[in-house]
Amino acid sequence: MEKNYQRKLRRLKYGLGAMLFFTFFCFSFAKADELQGSAIKTERLDNYLKIIENAYQVSFVYDAAQINKEMSIDVPVKLVSIRTDLEPLKVKGINYNIVGKQVILKKLITFKASRDVVVKGSVRAAKDNELLPGVSVREKGVSNGVSTNGNGEYQIRVKDGATIVFTAIGYKTIEITVGTRTSIDVSLEEDISQLKEVTISTGYQNLNKKLFTGAATSLKGSDIKQEGITDVSRMLEGRAAGVSVQNVSGTFGAAPKIRVRGATSITGENKPLWVVDGVILEDVVNVSNEQLSSGDVTTLIGSSVAGINADDIESFNILKDAAATAQYGARAMNGVVVITTKKGRVGKPLISYTGNFSTYLKPTYNDYNIMNSADQMSVYSEMARKGWLNHSIASRRADGGVFTKMYQLINTYDATSNQFGLANTPEARNGFLTRYAQANTDWFDTLFKNSFLQEHSLSVSSGTEKSQLYFSASYLNDNGWARGNSVERYTANMNANFILSDKLSVNFITTGSIRDQKAPGTVGRVSNPVEGKYSRDFDINPFSYALNTSRTLTAFDENGKRENFTRNFADFNILNELDNNTLDLSLLDFKLQGGLGYKFNKHFKYDFLASMRYVKSGNEHKVRENSNMANAYRANGDSYIQDNNRFLFRDPEHPELQPIVVLPYGGFYNTKDDFLKAYMVRNSLEYNNTINDDHLINVYAFQEMRMANRQFRSNIGYGYQFDKGGVPFLDPNIIKQATLNNLPYYSMGHKYDRFAAFMARAAYSYKGKYSFNATGRYDGSNQLGTSATARWLPTWNVSGAWNVDTEDFMKTQETISRLTLRATYGLTASLGSATNSALVLRNGAALRPYSNETESTMNIDYIENRDLTWEKQYETNIGVDFGFFKDVLSLTVDLYKRNGFDLISPLRTSGIGGQFLTTANYADMRTKGIEFTLSGKIVDTKDWGWRSNLNFGYNDNKVTSLKSPQNIFQLIGADGGPQEGFPYRGLYSLEFTGLNHDTGVPEFINEKGERSNKVYLQSDVTKYLKYEGPTDPKLTGGFFNQVRYKGFTLSSLFTFSAGNKIRLNPAFSTSYSDLDAHPNEFKDRWTLPGDETRTNIPGIPDVSTVLGFPGIYPYDSYNYSSARVADGGFIRLKQLSLTYALPAKMLKSIGANNASLGVVANNFWLIYSDKKLKGQDPEFFASGGVALPIPKQYTLSLKVGF
Amino acid sequence: MKKINQIIYMSVLATVALSGCKKFLEHQPDDRSELNTPVKVAELLANAYPHGNYIPFAEAMSDNAGDKGNRSGNAIDITNESPWKYEDQVDAQLADTPPYYWNACYKAISAANYALEAIEKGGNTEAYMASKGEALVARAYSHFMLVTFFSKAYDPATAASDPGIPYVTAPQKTVEGSYRRGTVAEVYAQIEKDLEEGIPLIRNNTYRVPKYHFTTQAAHAFATRFYLFKKDYLKVVDHANAVFPGATVAASLRPWNTTYNALGYYELQALYTNSSEPANLLIQESATSWGTSYAEYNYSLSSEVQKIFNPANNPIKRALAISSKVFGGTEFFLNIPKFRNHIVKETINASFGEFYNMIPLLTAEEVLFNRAEANVMLGNNPAAVTDMDAYLSKRIVNYSPTAMKFTEAKAMAFFPGMDVKDALVGSILNFKRQEYMHEGIRWFDIIRLKIPITHPYISGGEVITLGANDPRRVIQLPQEAIALGLEKNAR
Repeated sequence: MEKNYQRKLRRLKYGLGAMLFFTFFCFSFAKADELQGSAIKTERLDNYLKIIENAYQVSFVYDAAQINKEMSIDVPVKLVSIRTDLEPLKVKGINYNIVGKQVILKKLITFKASRDVVVKGSVRAAKDNELLPGVSVREKGVSNGVSTNGNGEYQIRVKDGATIVFTAIGYKTIEITVGTRTSIDVSLEEDISQLKEVTISTGYQNLNKKLFTGAATSLKGSDIKQEGITDVSRMLEGRAAGVSVQNVSGTFGAAPKIRVRGATSITGENKPLWVVDGVILEDVVNVSNEQLSSGDVTTLIGSSVAGINADDIESFNILKDAAATAQYGARAMNGVVVITTKKGRVGKPLISYTGNFSTYLKPTYNDYNIMNSADQMSVYSEMARKGWLNHSIASRRADGGVFTKMYQLINTYDATSNQFGLANTPEARNGFLTRYAQANTDWFDTLFKNSFLQEHSLSVSSGTEKSQLYFSASYLNDNGWARGNSVERYTANMNANFILSDKLSVNFITTGSIRDQKAPGTVGRVSNPVEGKYSRDFDINPFSYALNTSRTLTAFDENGKRENFTRNFADFNILNELDNNTLDLSLLDFKLQGGLGYKFNKHFKYDFLASMRYVKSGNEHKVRENSNMANAYRANGDSYIQDNNRFLFRDPEHPELQPIVVLPYGGFYNTKDDFLKAYMVRNSLEYNNTINDDHLINVYAFQEMRMANRQFRSNIGYGYQFDKGGVPFLDPNIIKQATLNNLPYYSMGHKYDRFAAFMARAAYSYKGKYSFNATGRYDGSNQLGTSATARWLPTWNVSGAWNVDTEDFMKTQETISRLTLRATYGLTASLGSATNSALVLRNGAALRPYSNETESTMNIDYIENRDLTWEKQYETNIGVDFGFFKDVLSLTVDLYKRNGFDLISPLRTSGIGGQFLTTANYADMRTKGIEFTLSGKIVDTKDWGWRSNLNFGYNDNKVTSLKSPQNIFQLIGADGGPQEGFPYRGLYSLEFTGLNHDTGVPEFINEKGERSNKVYLQSDVTKYLKYEGPTDPKLTGGFFNQVRYKGFTLSSLFTFSAGNKIRLNPAFSTSYSDLDAHPNEFKDRWTLPGDETRTNIPGIPDVSTVLGFPGIYPYDSYNYSSARVADGGFIRLKQLSLTYALPAKMLKSIGANNASLGVVANNFWLIYSDKKLKGQDPEFFASGGVALPIPKQYTLSLKVGF
Repeated sequence: MKKINQIIYMSVLATVALSGCKKFLEHQPDDRSELNTPVKVAELLANAYPHGNYIPFAEAMSDNAGDKGNRSGNAIDITNESPWKYEDQVDAQLADTPPYYWNACYKAISAANYALEAIEKGGNTEAYMASKGEALVARAYSHFMLVTFFSKAYDPATAASDPGIPYVTAPQKTVEGSYRRGTVAEVYAQIEKDLEEGIPLIRNNTYRVPKYHFTTQAAHAFATRFYLFKKDYLKVVDHANAVFPGATVAASLRPWNTTYNALGYYELQALYTNSSEPANLLIQESATSWGTSYAEYNYSLSSEVQKIFNPANNPIKRALAISSKVFGGTEFFLNIPKFRNHIVKETINASFGEFYNMIPLLTAEEVLFNRAEANVMLGNNPAAVTDMDAYLSKRIVNYSPTAMKFTEAKAMAFFPGMDVKDALVGSILNFKRQEYMHEGIRWFDIIRLKIPITHPYISGGEVITLGANDPRRVIQLPQEAIALGLEKNAR
């Protein structure tokens, strides 16, 4: 053995085809056939060689690539001498050379005259007889190949007598011997088994399915593409079991709330990791759970996926369990979505165009539950009777509607005409109000339009055996459904592959996208826990405005001019404001990626991947001088307004003077920019071998480093005069006002992410029957702080699969064609939100009122927590995959259990160490779930086809340990909150006990367990709250059907979710103004004692009642009571589409390969939802700002390929 | 061989990568600062002062708070109502509660301790010495305030057994530490040690805004309070003399009878807590709703309490100038404009922000009162009388040094039946109570001298009384500290 080893080394050294040679030593396997008499028999070459080796004690050396050891050879039955016995080899063109005890075999070089022939033909699919472009056509045994063109035609020059091999992914390979033919047409059968056994892309590796033991869902980009839906992340809704997508806002760029197998962290983001072509897609800004539904501007740049052109996506792989995500180790806790983009394919250039033309339908009052103006006016009269709208109060209101306007007119005396704006007589007042009572303004009609969205995408794919290129460009333009909103997006994508030699290949991907978006101006929302409200100043979100603004108000006066009402003591007209208070968002996203692959031999390869991404996003908030927001700074009409307008400035140096205007001219030009520069480098080695067809081995290891630098900056531009050529006018007092409120007018900061990882993974499969997989990964990150111990974390995973269908006992039946059992156990992790493994210090300015008193100070943000570590979870997954009736139907069921531990959550300490509220790894969470997917191509004939897919995931999580302090307010909001023994976000309510008999004031069980109208919302006694249910749905799923008849394809997608509770939009308040729109249920409100027996709707309290409630807010509390909760379950017909593929004849006439026309309805029909919602979308959080619901959308889609 | 070479190259590469990792991963995740220079240590010490406000509960517990009758328009606030009824408050996240103040003090202490650790690491060089002094005195101050509120007032007879509060001298580096209360005597010993070690190191010229730091004057002023509690009267006088070298006493006092008297509401409010006011020896910012609410709190300066400003109700039978600055119109808003709200806003258009008040922690008048009281206790009555005269010369409009002179006789006439010592102390406290209306200082005298208090409801009925040894004089520890295993205060 040792000698043989030496020889092998020598040969390697000589470099004689080093990696392709194999020496075979046959002694060990020898089973000497008995030597028999003369005559000739047919024997396999390798058997024959063994016989000779045994007989003459020699060994053979040969190149297995040259000499087919399985070839049959006619040999003498009885051995004579070594040379005689080797003669028959020459017949097969094998020469031999005896050197000592070795026999070297070599293929004879034959100079047989060969003749080249040109073969032409076309390739069709057997199923539907469609021409197949891109089929690889190769001459067998030689590196000579072409691909079919767009018409499925090919032309190849081959040697006479050659065999041509036709291969295409998803089809069975066929071989045809040319013979004398010059024209060969073939049709390829679909290969179901091959489809099922496509490799699984883990983002790092493309792994043979036989070796893959995890729970993952693969989706083809073309299958799930929803024409007209612009954000690819929304396309996952209802497509994969266990993946829930909640469209909390439909505005372009706002990420949906995506959960893979539910939440894993209490404080973290719980977002899956997005991986595009092997590179983790970093977010420009991190948007937290709660921020997603806040409507803040940052949500628009929160989704990096929004820059991806859906047409570029080849496939999605959703990696769900620990085995699937093992390679992501300490980033994998929330699942991974791997996107693979399209690559160039061999053949002549293929050009495809997709055009989508969509329109969004305006919302209407039929869908919502809002009073018309006559009913609304009667509510106002009651308010007037109860003292809310009397002359002195209403005329001086900061925000007022019809009544405020009326009293202001009565107060206005015009000296020239010698008249008041309105006579103060009952007749004149009634006349004035009548116009508004009859107005019935349709705000949806005013603020929304049936918009037009167009999307054009063009791609070219081309290539030869040595180089392939894919290029695409797309343009999207949405002129805006809601006023003040519009989007333009450009994307470009280039993917080039070059095979430089048999060993070396390189790959470049360049993608870029540019986005220009407009949205109504908005500022961040703030919470007011005392009254139990979230508020947002100057909110002009068209949807919120339409929903919350009285229909008695009018946008235009009798003369057709824009009519103003009062807001912030200044004139306000929503149309004017949407024109003059805007957000301009721009985003540039560029990625450059390069890969290099080197094959040492056919088993062993090295890959290098590097990528750079640069994102620049800018957000300009333009508040023009005639906007309400700017004019509010100038409202100083009388001393009452001066004292009460919070935008005026009381100079502390002159405390006795009246507050003054500090924005005499202009408006604001506020900018906010975010930058991201991300780099990634990875070196990986992969060993892949199949030994004796029985042992599949794959060993993979990589080392990776990532680095992301984020920068953000903001600037408040005071007094910018948009109408005067863009000159700022600065009153120093406005800077002083801001400075004295400790509000810096500009800011800039950085975030640095450094990450290193090492991973090794081994997979083994025996005969494709039993697979085992083990992965270990070691991660390091700087995000925990500078402590050297906290930053490293090892994770691991073991898993196995048993392909039961390969067993003999399964061969006897036909029902089950495929059956795989899978099991996984492993540790995954993710980085929590805490960064204080070392002391965290931040500088700031002392919060003192005068500039000569303030100084730079260093604040302790967090004291050191030397025990800080990553959030972790152990996951067990058991899965089974069935294929029935030759895989016509397939079923996948996964059961999983997750034990999350070391989760980060705020913790109350004794405070003695200097930090009362700290973040620490102590919370635990348990999750159990099941995932179910049943899919199949039930009918698949030439003319008819029916594809169906039903999937759902059920997920139940429970926080098992949490000491985090929660007060009532934190738990009763629409987002819910965590409590021990309950889901990670549970919705809680104040338990409503009815309306008070005497006053009609709503009463609840308060924090002391007593029935009361006073609840102290900041109390941390939460045990009297009523638990309603989780805010995230427990069950989500989808049901997809596609029916094909000839060229027509009809598909539908239903999505459903259940098990969660939603808070109804807040509609009640201690006091209302004449701006408020009331829901129709106000008609049932409490008005007289005794009404409480028939209604739960609180009435309108009179002024004196409210004065008796110092510091209590029962009507606001009512919004958070058990009376204002609805079930979140719904069934939605998400998409309905009809596509017609033009027949071949018509295509010929336009010179196209394929063309299709489709009509798509998206977000089409909410089939079922809780009646209590009364039009409120169960997914959408009406939070104002930039949030808009998902509209109903109709799309015309055109696809042409040349 | 090729393969072996490759493997060697790979492993070299991996080793280089690994060793590079340490440096690579050491990068801070964001723009946090590092505590590595004397300037930065000094900046950290701006946080070595409690930024929580004790006034709301100290004032409501004292006899400065009367019941206004819970009528419409009054704010019934838990932070005002609970201390008035001597109910324990547990919400540490609510500003103006004792647990919040507890946390604020320990937060300040941790800043001092981190600073001291950095000074130690920096080699205790001369450049750090002023900061070291400030850190020590600030640490002593916070501990003193804690022991004063959360333990029994110092009594030489029982101090060695009365439970104290944890005295923290090193930064905590874990989520929770392990602490014990110790005794009041131990805490006092530590305070004295830090204070005496710190004072000589302080350098006033190192401060950019001296009034917000322990200057030598402020440190000595704090020492007068500390030693008065410790009943070490000689040291009170010594430290007080260090605050007012020579005859500077009167010049340091608030000019109530002149400048202040002419000021409007907002002007007085702005000046009272301003660093330009010489009487303010140490001011600190504090997150609090005191400034917004003290006028309308239901349990505060009621018309009943207001009677202490009547001329008949003090030994010299003259109204102090402050009594004319009680604003409010009706009983429900009676207030002396001492606190100006400072609103910290998060966004440009925010309708509300966080409310801060600048709280005068140590003032010249207190030093004067402390010295006067100490002198009385030492039997040096003339010195006390001189101090009171200096005080009154700044308090009474049209002051006459002869007619309005403070005398032992006037004191004894005002407190019939008392000996001269008690009458003098009583008189001092009488003026001190008026002086410090709304400032919480009264509570310190109440616990120090075991003054009994009654809190009657205006509607009659039950009267809440706080006897001389009532355990409720000692505020209960925060529930989280009890959960850690610290001994509860008696109830």
